[in-house]
Amino acid sequence: MASIGGLLVARLFDAIVPLFMKTAIDSLADPDIEPTLLVPVLSILGIVATRFLIYVFSQRALRRLSISVSYDLRKRLFNHVQFQGAHFFNRFGTGDLMSRAVNDVSMVRMVVSFGAVTILTTVFTLITGLYFMIMLSPSLTFWVVLPLPLVGVAGFGMARALFPYYMDRQEAMAEVTAFTQENLNGIRTVQAMAQEEKEIDRFRDVSTHYAQTVYRVNRYQALMNVVMGFISTASTVIVIFYGGALVLRGEITLGTFMAFFSYLMMVAWPVRMIGMSITMFTAAAAGTERIFEILDYEPEVDDASTKTVTTELRGRIEFRNLVYSHPGAPRPTIDGATFNIEPGETIAFMGRVGSGKSTLLNAIVRLVDTPAGMVFLDGHDIHDFPLHQLRGAVTLVPQDPFLFSMTLRDNLTYDDLSRGDELIWEAAEAAAFADPLRRQLAEGLDTMVGERGVTLSGGQKQRATLTRGMVRDAKVLLLDDCFSSVDTETEERILRGLRRMRGGKTTMLISHRVSTARHADRIFVIDGGRFKESGTHQELIARGGYYADLAAVQSNQDEDRERKARLLRDLDSEISAVPMPEAAKL
Amino acid sequence: MSENAIQAPGPSRNYSAFDAELTHQALNVRLFVRLLGWLKPYLITLFVSIAFVVMAALSQVLMPILTSVVIIDTILVPTTIASDAPDYGLLALVDWIQSTYALEALSAAGLVYVTVLVGQSLLSFAHQLTLYSCSLKALRDLRIDLFAALERKPASFFDHVGVGRVMTRVTNDVENLFQLLTGFGGLAGEFVPFFVALFAMLAISGSLTGVVLVALPVAAIATIAFRIAMRKIFRFIRDSVSALNQYMQEDLVGIDVVQLSGREKQNIEEYGTHNRANRGYEFRAINFEVLYDTFNMSLGSVVTGGIVWFGGGQVIQQDISLGSMILFTSLVQMMIMPIVSLGQQFNVLFRSMASGERIFQALDWDEQLHEPDEPTVMEGRLRGKVEFRHAHFGYYQGEEILKDVSFSIEPGEKLAIVGPTGSGKSTIIRLLVRFYDIDDNMVFVDDVDVNKIHSRDLRERVGVVLQDFHIFSGTVCDNITLNNPDITRERAEWAARSVNADGFIQELADGYDTQLAERGQNLSQGQRQLLAFARVLAADPEILVLDEATANIDTSTELVVQDAVAKLTEGRTSIVVAHRLQTIQECDRILVLHHGVVEELGTHDELIAKGGIYYTLHELQFQDADVAREVAREDEGSEGRTTDPRWVSTPEDPSDTPDRM
Repeated sequence: MASIGGLLVARLFDAIVPLFMKTAIDSLADPDIEPTLLVPVLSILGIVATRFLIYVFSQRALRRLSISVSYDLRKRLFNHVQFQGAHFFNRFGTGDLMSRAVNDVSMVRMVVSFGAVTILTTVFTLITGLYFMIMLSPSLTFWVVLPLPLVGVAGFGMARALFPYYMDRQEAMAEVTAFTQENLNGIRTVQAMAQEEKEIDRFRDVSTHYAQTVYRVNRYQALMNVVMGFISTASTVIVIFYGGALVLRGEITLGTFMAFFSYLMMVAWPVRMIGMSITMFTAAAAGTERIFEILDYEPEVDDASTKTVTTELRGRIEFRNLVYSHPGAPRPTIDGATFNIEPGETIAFMGRVGSGKSTLLNAIVRLVDTPAGMVFLDGHDIHDFPLHQLRGAVTLVPQDPFLFSMTLRDNLTYDDLSRGDELIWEAAEAAAFADPLRRQLAEGLDTMVGERGVTLSGGQKQRATLTRGMVRDAKVLLLDDCFSSVDTETEERILRGLRRMRGGKTTMLISHRVSTARHADRIFVIDGGRFKESGTHQELIARGGYYADLAAVQSNQDEDRERKARLLRDLDSEISAVPMPEAAKL
Repeated sequence: MSENAIQAPGPSRNYSAFDAELTHQALNVRLFVRLLGWLKPYLITLFVSIAFVVMAALSQVLMPILTSVVIIDTILVPTTIASDAPDYGLLALVDWIQSTYALEALSAAGLVYVTVLVGQSLLSFAHQLTLYSCSLKALRDLRIDLFAALERKPASFFDHVGVGRVMTRVTNDVENLFQLLTGFGGLAGEFVPFFVALFAMLAISGSLTGVVLVALPVAAIATIAFRIAMRKIFRFIRDSVSALNQYMQEDLVGIDVVQLSGREKQNIEEYGTHNRANRGYEFRAINFEVLYDTFNMSLGSVVTGGIVWFGGGQVIQQDISLGSMILFTSLVQMMIMPIVSLGQQFNVLFRSMASGERIFQALDWDEQLHEPDEPTVMEGRLRGKVEFRHAHFGYYQGEEILKDVSFSIEPGEKLAIVGPTGSGKSTIIRLLVRFYDIDDNMVFVDDVDVNKIHSRDLRERVGVVLQDFHIFSGTVCDNITLNNPDITRERAEWAARSVNADGFIQELADGYDTQLAERGQNLSQGQRQLLAFARVLAADPEILVLDEATANIDTSTELVVQDAVAKLTEGRTSIVVAHRLQTIQECDRILVLHHGVVEELGTHDELIAKGGIYYTLHELQFQDADVAREVAREDEGSEGRTTDPRWVSTPEDPSDTPDRM
């Protein structure tokens, strides 16, 4: 507040300067008055010095405020986002969130540092300017001020009319960005199909369109300046004609005449700015709203009312008639899942894409938040665990292998950096990642991965994430189709590693390959959110259902057309089915 | 072999140079001159624009002269001092209007004032329009050239340089140059008044001009000091902002991992560290900024005070007129303004120069596919013969992915390539369509060296279905035709029907006109692959190459895909890189690749009879599960069985290469 007050005082000083100029000029113009220069000059210098101090102090404080505001908004956004669930991330994509954290925050910052201050000081400047003008000559003031409301109205109107041009430009820019991004992401396809020249032609159109929209915005702004300039000129002309006449008639002094010129500048500028400021506030209001849309989003997973379960966990998982629908999905993703998994068991889930396998695993670690009373760990409802304890006891390795841009060591011990290398190597050995670490990655655990480091192959990444999951040595390990990018042979080695490390601990895995699933103690086949078959490998083969068909087709021993046809029929129904919402593939 | 490959050979190019820290020069003249090259076609517009701004600037200088010399000194307070102040014919003009139209002196002056003002507004309007027009056109051209340059970069470039890093050059960096061009275009408008004002001041009073000239170096020194002080801070701010954004982006992309690892609190703290660092730099920057801004503002006032003091004295001594003194105070503003605005433009300038460097670096990146000087034009349809003759290739210097690979495929034949991950299967495909430059006389299509065929021509004739097929946002139909006007809608629909894709397309909301999201997120993996097949079939290539997708397809989808493959390869020379052996059924011959060496080549029956690698592989995948498991256990120590040791004793393929196209 003090800083705004300071700025206002500085404005007041600005307004006094022309007064001293007036005194000096009058004393020089009128031979009857003794020329006084010392007082005005010293006063001007004094004012300048004082204003300097005030201004530095206030501006600094205000700009610091705006920096702090953006700092705080960014911090709150980031913190808030950390605890959001699948619904949230379905609704707000990464690009969207980034644009809010970058563009909207800086928009708000701009308004804080300039907008608010501008409006305050403009109004104040306007009032001070008018006050001094009226003091000097009320009649001249009246005529001079007459065109000003017109400036304000025109400014406001034109600023509003400018808005759609801005929108067009933003959209055209978004188009350029999207086109470039998409095209470069698909560059291999474009090049393989020899479409480069056509794509360049299309980009020419997109780019030209953007240039046109920018031109229109700038043309309109330039026009706005001309029009506003013309209207403001009216006041200047009045000062010359009417004010000049008053000087000639001796009603006002030359100093007053010159002071009016200065004050007019002071007054006309804020009137023009008010229109602009209002548009700016509209834009900023939109930005603020976008930020608060995020901040007001309640995290789905409520972690407040939980207490750490103190008894040692054994890793027993129980589902009691779980029914779960993704928002917007026409039918439940999980439609009545009831099963028990005893500590130490290894369970495989099979089924088509979108059958609900991933949702089942995600439900256990509450990446998908199911209603209470349906999923239990060691007899406790998973909702009764604090998230950190639940996710410490149950480790999920997601389908998409994701590594952060840091060293492999930091990646592999992402949850607990204090872990020793020995443990990492043991897990890497089990995940068949030790060999690539030793042979292909020159710097071993210290290899930087990501954009600025080494690009790992799909198989290497998958094994790295697997290592990250194994190293935690959790009571329950969930593997969501984690062998898709490794060859059959490596997979076998990983499965052996799993057996070695997971003795006596619960493991649940999703796979499309019978060769993987048959190692499990029990196999569940899921279809359309329901359990179709369950049992050991031998039992399911003997049963002659979907699993047996799959096993036959995958081993290719069977030329039985009927079986293939049956699977094809199944597929037809899948292909025509409504595409799963993204969350289902988490 | 694997022992020798312990050290991953470095890339033959230093890709980190692509976004290495640049020179950080505030004004790089060479770069600026180069940028002007894009303005060349619009030079006339640019000159017209500059002419406009010079005229506008001149008329701007006329205003205070009109006020001081004509209105004050002549009309309002007629002076007796012989004024040295130049009037640029304004007095005569006012006199002429006054006498011709029988107006009062004040009215005549007012009329001239209005005219000059209106003229000035119109001139600067014209200046802005022309300037925007030519800079926008130049930047549009630059952007298209940049895009085109990237579009033609070979696969090796995109292997190493992330799309995100290249993209910002096309978008943000070109955008930054707009401020540079318009800023410099307008600079003339600032500096013309500077010299005109200086000239006028010298004409009025040399001594008083001296007072002003004392202030100029002060302003200049302050600007330079500010520049030096800010130089580092700007860089810190820029770096900290990009660190901040990068951290957040990565956290968002990997949010599942973050939450599953319980890292939320620690990440909040790490982000906080970046955020605080950024705030610290910003705080430091504003200290300087505020000081500088305020200093400039005050300098003007101080000089005005000086003029009133010295000038007032001169007025009293009747050395100069009152109007001249007032004129001085106006002119001073015109001289200080350009220096101030140059200082304020510094940030823009700095940013633009960095952007310019990045753009030119991307343009200059001389990684090109070498196209033949006189490409062989292949007449008519190809017969479809493909031949590799002693082909050697490595992505890096000193690395050999393919070693002396020789084989040939007769027209209409279907060849399957099998081998473990990293054996070089996909590399064969990449070389065939010239994604990478290779030596001459290694790969032949219809007995013509592919290096003698223009890559575009070659790729139109050799259709490739890549493992990572890209779906573009647009309609289903657009995705099949890829906006190629030669492919009609009927053809697209026919292609879709042929590869079993018609069924699911018809089920979509708008059939072939359904909008697909980027990367086809509203399609399943199988559907996407069928669409990619339709795309290739519609283009009707003479040779078909198929890199089988490995991940995430369930068996039933795979069956439909296999059926489509059969239709696709019908009557065409085809190469199928098979990651699973099911696909091989339909193929005439099978090539077994291991560590970049052709180990076996023949029909299924021949290879089975041979009892080599293919046989082992076949056993592994197809035989009874328990046998397979035991075979896999081999490497745990028991002595060899009938299996080829190469498949089991090298658990890890050392040539496992990073993701490539």
